[in-house]
Amino acid sequence: MRIAVRRYAVSIVRGGWAVTDTEYGVVARGVTRGFGPVQALRGLDLTVPYGQVTALVGPNGAGKTTLLLILATLLRPDFGEVRVAGLDPVHDPSGVRSRMGWMPDVFGVYEQLTVREYLAFFAAAYRLDGAVSNQRISDALLRTHLFEYANRPVHILSRGQKQRLALGRAMLHEPAVLLLDEPASGLDPRSRVELRDLLRALAAAGVAVLVSSHILSELEEIADRVVFVNEGRTVDEQDIHQLAANHMSQWRVRAADPDALRAALEQRGVTAGASSGAGTELPAMAEDAAAELLAGLVADGVRVVAFGPVGSHLETAYLAMTQERR
Amino acid sequence: MSLYGVMLVVRQEFRVRLRTGRWRWLLGSWVAVLLLFTALLDLSLTGATGPRGVPLFGGLMLFVLALVLIISPALTAQSVNGDRERGTLATLQVTRLTATEIAVGKLLAGWGVGLVALALALPFVGWSIVEGGMTVLRTFVVLLVVALLIGVVCAISLGLSALLARSITSALLSYLAVFALTVGTAVTFGLSAGVIGGDRATAKVWWMLAPNPFVVLADATPKLPPAFDIQGHEIPQPGDPLGELGRSVRQLRDPDYYDEYADEPQHHPNPGPVWPYGLTFDLLVGAGAVWLTARQLRTPAARLPRGIRVA
Ligand SMILES: Nc1ncnc2c1ncn2[C@@H]1O[C@H](COP(=O)(O)OP(=O)(O)OP(=O)(O)O)[C@@H](O)[C@H]1O
Ligand SMILES: [Mg+2]
Repeated sequence: MRIAVRRYAVSIVRGGWAVTDTEYGVVARGVTRGFGPVQALRGLDLTVPYGQVTALVGPNGAGKTTLLLILATLLRPDFGEVRVAGLDPVHDPSGVRSRMGWMPDVFGVYEQLTVREYLAFFAAAYRLDGAVSNQRISDALLRTHLFEYANRPVHILSRGQKQRLALGRAMLHEPAVLLLDEPASGLDPRSRVELRDLLRALAAAGVAVLVSSHILSELEEIADRVVFVNEGRTVDEQDIHQLAANHMSQWRVRAADPDALRAALEQRGVTAGASSGAGTELPAMAEDAAAELLAGLVADGVRVVAFGPVGSHLETAYLAMTQERR
Repeated sequence: MSLYGVMLVVRQEFRVRLRTGRWRWLLGSWVAVLLLFTALLDLSLTGATGPRGVPLFGGLMLFVLALVLIISPALTAQSVNGDRERGTLATLQVTRLTATEIAVGKLLAGWGVGLVALALALPFVGWSIVEGGMTVLRTFVVLLVVALLIGVVCAISLGLSALLARSITSALLSYLAVFALTVGTAVTFGLSAGVIGGDRATAKVWWMLAPNPFVVLADATPKLPPAFDIQGHEIPQPGDPLGELGRSVRQLRDPDYYDEYADEPQHHPNPGPVWPYGLTFDLLVGAGAVWLTARQLRTPAARLPRGIRVA
């Protein structure tokens, strides 16, 4: 995957846009940005294909928000090449703005307006005309489940409802590229599921979605790809399924008869870890090895009730990546 | 910059402000203060010779100018950094509104409120016209100059709000700017003239007074035509605060004229007006402040004001 990034990057430098333009909503290469003495980005590479959800993952202060601000035409990168919807945010910010939707991590809303007035103002600011604007506002209200609040003042909304309103705002002009900075924070479980379905639907419709989040178990269900960043650099850029297949993660197994399970494991030379109500811990294995072991146990006549990775693959990969920090 | 974008920002600012503040209360007390002032001034003028409209209008407009100079900084001094603090600025900047549209829209919204305050003084201006002695030209010019000065102060405050991170700081500095423009110019002028010394000292430093809003207003006020009664005798003019202030400023610019030649103007050219310099200066500062605001709002931003995160 890293090699692929380099190849597209080369095509930017040569101005060969024919391919990347239609394939990638966002391409960034070697992006750096400092704030006085603080170097927030130190050469970050990223691609966000259309029709997929790409997750941006990294520890606090890794530079995720800074990168999203650069993509959202708000910050100028010090160095590096950036294309959003095929355009350069530095030289054609207004072109990018009409094709890109952005939801910041912290934001305010005009508390004095009603929910509908709030959306109508932004529809006007995106220069949507009357009929289209009404249609999009209704759409946004339905998609974010705020229809019953349409005529209520924004200040009565809860934090999660405001979060959904901001998401609705970011989608008003039907952007081809959607940038979301921690959209799930503050959402209740049902809203998170709805957010997931919404993002999947947008991706299926061809939108390039980039989401930063710390909720890894959830990202694994939402995202097709993941980009790990740390200290302003891209550490890894991977397909989620590939990640699951290649990554050595811890597993846990539970059987109806724990003693039979222990015996079977011993016979197969697998050193079992601690046992608890949740099951017996197994050493780190890749997906293939785990599948083999499970088949073996079943063949041995162990009545297996549960067999699965501990935590998510994304989480283990993340923890492995950040371990080097300490 | 498009009219559509500017008006969108103006309407939004107006709507958000109208729903926050206690406007009815504020405007109500504003009218009450003006009413009280005009009534008392009118009463104090009983017994004065000639038409009372001139001193009534002059006193009223100087009072109105003083008050709007106090009000105007509050109208825009938190327009940009206040939005940033509330987290609503960045979402505005990523729409298709341009930096200039946002800057000009915010200026016009604040200025508009100032003009509403000025409009509420119109009934009292009417009162002074009814009292007699006023000309249409004088009424119009004075109102226009006050309106422009409100815009200048709004623009300066807007620029400060774009330049500084914290809205409290920019509000404070806006008042400091008004103070510098009024008291500051007078003190600087007085001290400089004192240091230079001699009869003609003021002729060298009169320009220091020029940007002062009161000086601009008074000096820009058109002279009243001499009034005659039916027999052709000149009616003595009543006290004219604006005219007299304007005359004394021109006297500072050219002390000789009033000392020696006022009665025989053919021997000495009329001293030129001061207000064109002052008003031009003030308007340029205001325009510069709006330009600066637009520049600060331009994105992608290379530098951020210290201590600011975009979002
Ligand atoms: N305006 C600014 N001025 C100074 N430093 C900044 C500014 N914005 C960001 N930084 C610094 O840049 C680094 C990256 O910050 P950024 O907000 O991009 O991190 P993040 O990955 O979004 O973190 P989090 O997960 O906590 O949201 C941090 O060290 C931060 O302190
Ligand atoms: Mg962040």
